[in-house]
Amino acid sequence: MLHRTLLLVVLAGSFGLSRARAQEPAPRAASGLEWNALHAEHLFNRAGFGARPNEIEFALRGSHEHFVEQLLVGFTAPADPLFIDLPEMPQRRDFESRDEFDRANDRFRREERRVLTSFAGWWIDQMIEGKHPLQERLVLFWHGYFTSSTRDVKRTGAMVAQNELFRRHALGNFAELVHAIVRDPAMLEYLDNNQNRKDSPNENLARELMELFTLGEGHYTEQDIKEGARALTGWRTTDDKAGSYFQARQHDAGEKTILGKTARFDADSFVDLLLEQPECPRWVARKLLVHFEGVEPEPKRLEEYAKFLRASNWELKPFFRKLFLDPRFYAKDVLAERISSPVEYLVGCTRRLGLTVPPQVIWLGAGQLGQRLFDPPSVKGWDGGEAWITTSTLLGRGNMAGMLIGVVKIEDVLREDPLEIEPDEGAMMDGDTMGGDVMGGDVMSGGGAKPDDKEKGGKRAAKRKVDLGPEMGGLQRFTNEFYFPRINLTARMQRAGATRDTQIVDQLGSELLPVPLSEASRAALLEFLRIERSGLALEDGKLHTAGVKAEDTLRRLAHLILSLPEAQLG
Amino acid sequence: MTNLSIDRRALLAGASVLSAGWLTARASAWTTPALFSQDSGRTLILLQLAGGNDGLDTVVPYGDDAYRRARPSLGLKKSEVLALDDYRGFHGSLKQLRRHFDAGRVAVIEGAGYPEPIRSHFRSFDVWHTADHRGRSAGDGWVGRLCDVAFKDTQNPNLVVHVGGSVPYSLHSASHPPASFVNPRAYRWAGGEAETDAYEKAGGMEPEEREKKPKKREGESSLDFLRRVLADGQQSSEQVRRAVANYRTPVDYPANDALAQSLADVAALVSGGIGTRVISVELGGFDTHTDERNRHDQLMRTLDAALGPFLDDLARSEAGRKAMVVLFSEFGRRVAENGARGTDHGVAGPMFVLGHDLKGGLYGKHPSLDKLDDGDLVHTTDFRSVYATAIERCFGVKHDKVLGAKYPLLQFA
Repeated sequence: MLHRTLLLVVLAGSFGLSRARAQEPAPRAASGLEWNALHAEHLFNRAGFGARPNEIEFALRGSHEHFVEQLLVGFTAPADPLFIDLPEMPQRRDFESRDEFDRANDRFRREERRVLTSFAGWWIDQMIEGKHPLQERLVLFWHGYFTSSTRDVKRTGAMVAQNELFRRHALGNFAELVHAIVRDPAMLEYLDNNQNRKDSPNENLARELMELFTLGEGHYTEQDIKEGARALTGWRTTDDKAGSYFQARQHDAGEKTILGKTARFDADSFVDLLLEQPECPRWVARKLLVHFEGVEPEPKRLEEYAKFLRASNWELKPFFRKLFLDPRFYAKDVLAERISSPVEYLVGCTRRLGLTVPPQVIWLGAGQLGQRLFDPPSVKGWDGGEAWITTSTLLGRGNMAGMLIGVVKIEDVLREDPLEIEPDEGAMMDGDTMGGDVMGGDVMSGGGAKPDDKEKGGKRAAKRKVDLGPEMGGLQRFTNEFYFPRINLTARMQRAGATRDTQIVDQLGSELLPVPLSEASRAALLEFLRIERSGLALEDGKLHTAGVKAEDTLRRLAHLILSLPEAQLG
Repeated sequence: MTNLSIDRRALLAGASVLSAGWLTARASAWTTPALFSQDSGRTLILLQLAGGNDGLDTVVPYGDDAYRRARPSLGLKKSEVLALDDYRGFHGSLKQLRRHFDAGRVAVIEGAGYPEPIRSHFRSFDVWHTADHRGRSAGDGWVGRLCDVAFKDTQNPNLVVHVGGSVPYSLHSASHPPASFVNPRAYRWAGGEAETDAYEKAGGMEPEEREKKPKKREGESSLDFLRRVLADGQQSSEQVRRAVANYRTPVDYPANDALAQSLADVAALVSGGIGTRVISVELGGFDTHTDERNRHDQLMRTLDAALGPFLDDLARSEAGRKAMVVLFSEFGRRVAENGARGTDHGVAGPMFVLGHDLKGGLYGKHPSLDKLDDGDLVHTTDFRSVYATAIERCFGVKHDKVLGAKYPLLQFA
């Protein structure tokens, strides 16, 4: 906790600096691109999770190149990894009665879930703190690229280990990451490689390795999948899924013909073969460009980046250095077209507001908005883009922002742990436990709770949910009794010299929005402020004199701003 | 106009009493938005029993010796079932369902399942949700695919609604995403009144503009896309809340029961004329590995207490009488009870189809309790036959276009 407090102090010290918007001629990079607030903010949006109030100023103190180098290595030393203490899975033989075993199993699953919740919180804290924003951004990207879900993997240790694998390789080498992922316990479990044996091959991992991880559909045949599956036989997880190993007697050591080549392929030589395919760098480069730019790259440009990635021997840092210095990355469509994911939106709101928020609030909130960390909806990951936005999630995003600002009650918005357990007491004949919410939802509604389940005994039996306990960090803990947004928008506006309605709207809009405010939105916000002021009988320029009412008005204005269509970009 | 405004303000505030000053201030700015669709087609309601409902404890083969042998402590006696014939009867708590059955409003499809059954909750639900054994890798949910076929040109955001928490994968669709809410009264942007006025102007469009709003077009900018969805959301939110707020029913739903309250809201949506054609609801808790007798009895009571009045309520409107309710679970349970007075994950089970405009009765074939597959029932009807029948009946499209294959239709509709 200490490091976070210190960081806050540092930030508070520079709070007074408003965002400089290219008041003096900005230095030009070698690329000819002007290094200004708009472009710096764009980099913060895409290479991180948005800019805190003072951070753009900070970025503009040095050159564009210098800032990109900092992004590639991180701004400060990394946080220590979370200390993880995983429970041991109970064994039936250690218990005299079935009932005792069942109870131990319940405790075990609850404890596993608690650890996953803590870890999710730690991860979100990394995103908010912004020590190495690009790294955390990429951990999230790889999580949606090489997907595994706790619903299938069911062991926290494996999910945490996979997340740490992504962190280690986030800005490393793509080839190494693919080699690592075909022996990653969570992936082996998620894509059934424990069932991929010499005598009864399972094609799941081989199929997704080609279709989603390296080549894309249409660049291999069903026969290639069958043969590839044979190459992957023998890699399996330990019983506790904490590790993986190669079991030679389950490996098919015979010759395989994959993509026209015949050899005694094993997992590594199969991966090497895939990486040699010309489609592979194109596939990976396209995924990266679409994620970071939000628009489909032109064919020529894609080809350029694919070649570059291959020529850099799959190293990712040169790729991002090139991208972030590319003037095309700052083109109008790239600046304006990308819709942020729920995690990006909520972490972005938190950062732009300069708040500290219990990270589980963001975990729960993003889950409700369709992005449950550790539980992507399918092996394809999250669809992204416009698929994030439905009527329910768009209204819901605004409600979540209101919650962060403190004008909407947490308990009116957050529903439950996105991975709430339904207990599967007793027999687990097939080892299949209800490790999560049984509904495979990925789109959730914005807010509102039914009559409380907890209070009625009868209903409890019908919808049994494990009582997560206060240590769980579930909904019961995060009511407004525990959360006060520590913001002072009145002071913030005054420091920036924004007192008149137009100044306030422009200043707050600029601080809270990832992209510039549109004219239609600006007019509506001005009208809101005018009505609010006339309700308080204050002249334009005098809002700040209204004390708590001024702060209330500004917070409601901030809520409005973060609910705008513009706020969903970034 | 004034009444409408009162109504609207009440909706915004989520309360019924408001000061008159507000009304006069902004009443004129408000006109009734046209409903997205007045389409009075049939509504399909999907009720998911999550956790694996014990079919043998729902439609009980009490007349089968094999049943009593397999369920020495759990088995229901003749006196504990509502006998339909010498062989089978409803669980004793399903009294209202029995009443509706006798009136021809309940079709029971026995032995519903699919080949190569999966005993994992999630993966088996994926099969039910996609109507495809490959599960999610097959693509969108089956309702999403249905909408692509039956509602290709419909952009009504109320078309598909989920009342509950997480949306089931069956509704997963990029082209027809569902509106979803736990409580329709909370399906709204939670700003105050002044902010809401500004929100409508800033984000979306003026009411008149909404009616002319362009459909999704190629090359639409993200900002225009967001504005369009926001306008849809504001309108959908208001229509849904208005449908629920205006709904009056003399039917008594049990108070303090989440399922019954959800179904009361569903009844309001069905007859609300807001273009909703598919509604999904869930009841969880069916994973009865232990102490099944108490837990399953309670579930049956909950189900009966909610479905009984719901069917009575549906009888009151034309839209309600045309609606079809389909109950399903991801799997049944094993035939033999386990050592903990419960049952483990099994395979086939009965499906129920309810409604006022169908031929009730028994369909399919009760699976044999003697010829088991490794202790499990063998399914006798593919569940996709039920989907197929519902698709053709409710939406008038060829089911194989949605399901990707032909399945025999059942005679309940």
